[in-house]
Amino acid sequence: MAHIQLRGIQKKWDTIWGVRDATIDIADEELLVLLGPSGCGKTTTLRMIAGLEEPTEGEITVDGQIINDVDARDRDVAMVFQGYALYPNMSIYENIRFPLRMRNIPRGTHDQRVREAADMVELGQFLDRKPAALSGGQCQRAALARAVVRQPRVFLMDEPLSNLDARLRQAMRVQIKRLRRHLKITTVYVTHDQIEAMTLADRIVVMDGGTIQQIGTPDEIYRDPANAFVASFIGAPPMNLINGEISHGRFHADNVEVQNVDIDTEGPVTLGVRPEDCSVVKSGASAHNLTGEVFGVEPTGDITFLTLKAGCGTMEIKASRDYRAELGAQETIAFDTDHLYFFDAQSGQRIRQS
Amino acid sequence: MTVRRTNGDNLFIRYLILGSWALFCLVPVLWFLSIGFRPRTEIITARPIYLPTLSLDAWHMIWSDWPMAKYLRNSVAAIFGSVAIDLALAIPAAYSLARYDYKGKEDIGFYIPSTRMMAPAIVAIPIFFLFRNMGLLDTIWALMLIYAAINLSIVTWIIRSYMTDIPKEIEDAARIDGAGDLRILWEITIPAVRPGIITAAVIAMVFAINEFLFTLLIASTPDAYTLSVALANFTGGSDGLIYNAIALVAFLAFVPVFLVVAAIQRHLSRGLTMGAIKG
Repeated sequence: MAHIQLRGIQKKWDTIWGVRDATIDIADEELLVLLGPSGCGKTTTLRMIAGLEEPTEGEITVDGQIINDVDARDRDVAMVFQGYALYPNMSIYENIRFPLRMRNIPRGTHDQRVREAADMVELGQFLDRKPAALSGGQCQRAALARAVVRQPRVFLMDEPLSNLDARLRQAMRVQIKRLRRHLKITTVYVTHDQIEAMTLADRIVVMDGGTIQQIGTPDEIYRDPANAFVASFIGAPPMNLINGEISHGRFHADNVEVQNVDIDTEGPVTLGVRPEDCSVVKSGASAHNLTGEVFGVEPTGDITFLTLKAGCGTMEIKASRDYRAELGAQETIAFDTDHLYFFDAQSGQRIRQS
Repeated sequence: MTVRRTNGDNLFIRYLILGSWALFCLVPVLWFLSIGFRPRTEIITARPIYLPTLSLDAWHMIWSDWPMAKYLRNSVAAIFGSVAIDLALAIPAAYSLARYDYKGKEDIGFYIPSTRMMAPAIVAIPIFFLFRNMGLLDTIWALMLIYAAINLSIVTWIIRSYMTDIPKEIEDAARIDGAGDLRILWEITIPAVRPGIITAAVIAMVFAINEFLFTLLIASTPDAYTLSVALANFTGGSDGLIYNAIALVAFLAFVPVFLVVAAIQRHLSRGLTMGAIKG
């Protein structure tokens, strides 16, 4: 049970800003993902919640109680680190038991709790081993078991899956999601991987350059990005951004044209269109928006990625699985005009429909 | 086939070079061992005698005519005492240098090894007076302190480089799990740097057992003589130079260190190279 609030959190080292004015409200039992590129302040934010970094300004509260001055060990949080951070000289059993020993939890209960936690992550038969004798995935599960063993108020996860290979990541994602549903503990999860963020999060906080760009559910972040950064950070491949100009309700750039734009702005803007909202049409089709030269075709089985070179830059398009084309051929593309985004050319802020 | 033969040749040449080098280094050791176990008459001769008669004269002499057991005991006590003092001081110091940020940390980090940069003779006289005023002259306590002082910098430095190598994440994890500073140092950091501590301790032992100048300065009677100073005392007296006894005492001083180093060879080479890169 924990309701965490960050109010006006700032972190500055000498002249370098880590986090600027972060205000986040994390509901009880929520899984909140901090998402952003490296150096965006997401890990610093997490470490401030953990008590490993002190905010330069602002308040952190848990259930209404300010914890800025509470030592990390008294915050009753558990953390999973990117590098696992298992104690190398202890067996997995001792690793998982360590938090119980440190918190003076009655010794008699240790064995049962350690075994339960290990079973939860299917690590029961590895308890005697040292961390060095385990694979990356097993180490990460041991780190998870160590975090869940004492049922903390808050879970903090710092890129826990980024050292694992793709297949294992997927499996661990499912495991984390199940574990959380079972334990119902407020969780803050840091990642730079938008797939992880989209699949795990109740809500996502997108950060860049130490500043919060947007807070919302995965759907909101994907469908209704607040600015060009969020738009281009979410989605694989990312949203295409085209610099152009609007005049008399018509957007145009080199090789690109969109009629009947329903926003009030005139002048330079950035148009955003997702690869999945583009479709290849026959040349000469009446409703087309873009023409370009085929630069790359990557069939992946279920879908084909098409890269086009147009006057406005490079465009990524998700085409059907049967799509094939010669390099250098001309293609014509139509946009799904219900899903176009416009951003201020200077600030990158979203310009919403009038 | 050709590839295998080249490899075999390569290997042979490698062993040849390394073997020759090892032999070259070991010849003095073998030679003084052979001197120790030959009669006095076969030591100083016009031509070296490579295959001497075996004689235990010198062996009996060092145990019966001199308090060799006492020298050995003094050496061991002074050395282990000094290493204990070093570790007790160096581990917290190294931890502080490796983990905490404070003003002047880099300077302090430099002052510590800088104590090794001056010629020991410079401080010999002050140290003599210092120990005289403390009433510690001619005691093994003084030897412990002086050996500890000499080795403290290198011990600190080696342990520090090991500690710097431990990911800070591990200590962060322990803190969040509920451990305090001392608990983290004791249960997490020290076990993780055990190879570094062993390396540092052995190096300190080797330096301590070979220490001569300060021991000679402080020890004036057999009460505080160590093997290295006892060695020097065989070079005087009415009997002239008793080379075979000197050789045996030197060997006695050499064997324990050799055994310890051989036992922990793997740790040692790692520790030395790490120190070289990091230090």
